Amino acid sequence: MTGPVRRSASARRLVAIGVTLIVLLSPFLWLLQMSFKSNDLILQFPPPLIFTPTLENYASLWRSAFAASFGNSLMSASFSTALALLLGVPAAYALSRWAGRGKHALSFAILVTRMAPPIAFTIPFFLFYRWIGLLDTVTGLVLVYTSFNLPLVIWMMQPFFETVPPSLEEAALVDGASTRVVFLEIVLPMVAPGIAATAILCFLYAWNDFFFALILTRTNARTAPVAVVNFMNYEGWEWGKIAAGGSLVMAPVLIFSLAVRRYLVSGLTAGAVKG
Amino acid sequence: MTRKNSSHKPAGLSRRTLLRASAAILGAVAFPLPAIAQTKPFAGVTLRGASFQHRFFTLLQNYIPEFEAQTGMKVDLQLSAFPVYNQQANLELSSGGSAFDFVNVTFILAARWVAAGLLANLDEFTGDPNLTPAEWNPRDFVEGAQVPYRDAKGATYGYSWEGGAMVMGLSRMDVMEKRGLKIPKTFAELEQVCAAMNGADNVNGIVSFQLHHWCLPPYIRGFGGNIFRNPPTDIMPTLNSPEAIQAVEYYANLLRNYAPRGVLTYTEDQARQSHMTGRSNIFIHSSAWITPILLSNDSKVRDTSRVVRMPAGPVHDFPAANSQGLGIPKNAKNKKAAWEFIKWALSPEISMRLVKEHGHSSVCRRSVIESEEYRKLNTVNGQDLGALYLEVLGLPAKGENYMAYRTVKEFPIIGDVLNKAFEQVATGQLAAAAAMNAAQEQAVANLRRAGTAL
Repeated sequence: MTGPVRRSASARRLVAIGVTLIVLLSPFLWLLQMSFKSNDLILQFPPPLIFTPTLENYASLWRSAFAASFGNSLMSASFSTALALLLGVPAAYALSRWAGRGKHALSFAILVTRMAPPIAFTIPFFLFYRWIGLLDTVTGLVLVYTSFNLPLVIWMMQPFFETVPPSLEEAALVDGASTRVVFLEIVLPMVAPGIAATAILCFLYAWNDFFFALILTRTNARTAPVAVVNFMNYEGWEWGKIAAGGSLVMAPVLIFSLAVRRYLVSGLTAGAVKG
Repeated sequence: MTRKNSSHKPAGLSRRTLLRASAAILGAVAFPLPAIAQTKPFAGVTLRGASFQHRFFTLLQNYIPEFEAQTGMKVDLQLSAFPVYNQQANLELSSGGSAFDFVNVTFILAARWVAAGLLANLDEFTGDPNLTPAEWNPRDFVEGAQVPYRDAKGATYGYSWEGGAMVMGLSRMDVMEKRGLKIPKTFAELEQVCAAMNGADNVNGIVSFQLHHWCLPPYIRGFGGNIFRNPPTDIMPTLNSPEAIQAVEYYANLLRNYAPRGVLTYTEDQARQSHMTGRSNIFIHSSAWITPILLSNDSKVRDTSRVVRMPAGPVHDFPAANSQGLGIPKNAKNKKAAWEFIKWALSPEISMRLVKEHGHSSVCRRSVIESEEYRKLNTVNGQDLGALYLEVLGLPAKGENYMAYRTVKEFPIIGDVLNKAFEQVATGQLAAAAAMNAAQEQAVANLRRAGTAL
């Protein structure tokens, strides 16, 4: 291929990438530009694309109860992710190394808990939480999200552990290392990309949850997605705050994903094909 | 003796002082404390209430410290968005919860909550002179606003704090006058005015919003139709009656030909904005959404606007009316304290303060709405908005309760079907008769699926 032809193909590719990006990102970009507009401008038709931006929506958002809701989201998503990993990763390791007859039945039983839609569990959770006083608490949300994320962790982590050659562990054991040391210092570092990818999925599930937060919280443990809906008032929707809240809700996921992106791609693909 | 007396004098005084002091302390201990307890009978009680966010509660929160000081109780008022509140309250009440001592009885859920016995009978409180003084007068609430909170036997389960009366706002009377157009009083005139105004000076003839099951029924009723055969006793849907089909066709034509593009998905906000900026001439909705064209500082059409009764149909003149109420869940832990709060929040005094100090006019106390102060505050450009509001709000209680269709607990099921059918007609996907015949079948099937005997 000659130089000009190659350059033209590359330009076409860039245009295609640019157009695809714009199409994919347009909902987010639209939301973002709305968040810098006043309510008057947001409802103006045709919508003005050039305007004087204002930070008023963000400022009033942080003066409202949204800040506390944001904190609740952050806590419930982080703690539930940590707890699911803490319990799920050793469980996945144990299952991957277990050669007993009940292995497949047990794995399937763990997955069954993810097969019913969340709505099926909502009312029992609501009644039980009300009975034990966990309604409207971050602890309650953490437990719900953990219970839903645990099967995901166990199922996602098993293939990663299966890619680690057992001979490595046997060598370490022969050298006198305990099972705990083998697990923590040899196996875990080797599946770090898998843990990162799993953590992101767990975090996303908890962070984006609306339904459980809507039913199981009131005002104390209200999470950010529910708080955003709270700007849809009977007397009118606060469009600017909804847009600013929506943009802010996306931020932690974006930051978290960027922070672990090095592991993310390899993590999402590595476990797919066993070595 | 003298010496002795003199020497004993201080001791005697001391004893007397001591006795007086003891008596005072005993008296203070014996009498004033019960007196305090009588004036603050709810000391130590934390009252939990919930509602959707509304200006009424935002304003009320300014006065709640006064109530807390009077009664000794602490009020924990949880406010959420309209859909969030309805979801949470519905679940809480339906599952027999006692988390709330008082709740907002949302108009669209009132019939279901009352029929299912989820709320406490408030007649037990109003009927007891020890709990409700005569001057509180439950009959002072506008009768039309109280209809949704009564059961079939007439017992009351809620008292209204907000009234919504469907009126018509015209934002461009200047253009109308220039074109020799008069305020429409009938459906036929409404269509003529919309046609004549549409496109004039960049104005749309009419604007509306996506809650068709609120906007459309007054036209169905106006043409002589109904949503159910004879609500609330006979709830067989009548969506494919000739009158209902005629109404759907009429209203769809209005929106299709004379409203801004995309009106079918407009929110109330968008419609109000279009109206207040003069981009649309006519908007027919609850007074709280229409009167801002005259009262709001954001209105660009304050000097060219009129607010009047919505046009009458060829058969009936039935503008919609609704209200929101406060009630007590059946299983509430602090029912008496909750009643104390409702009594205070909906007292004539607080209602009048809301009107005078904050211009909040959609209260439901007749004595307040008819007062001279209210009239003065709500008369704009010679238009007595209070009289109009009271007139429309009271209509359902005069003669036939024509809003009965909306107090039927099955209405939300039918409302959804109606919304879809109307959109099919307004977008030209189906003819009115075909859409409403399909809607009728769907409505009957949905009701039967929900366990309703027809």
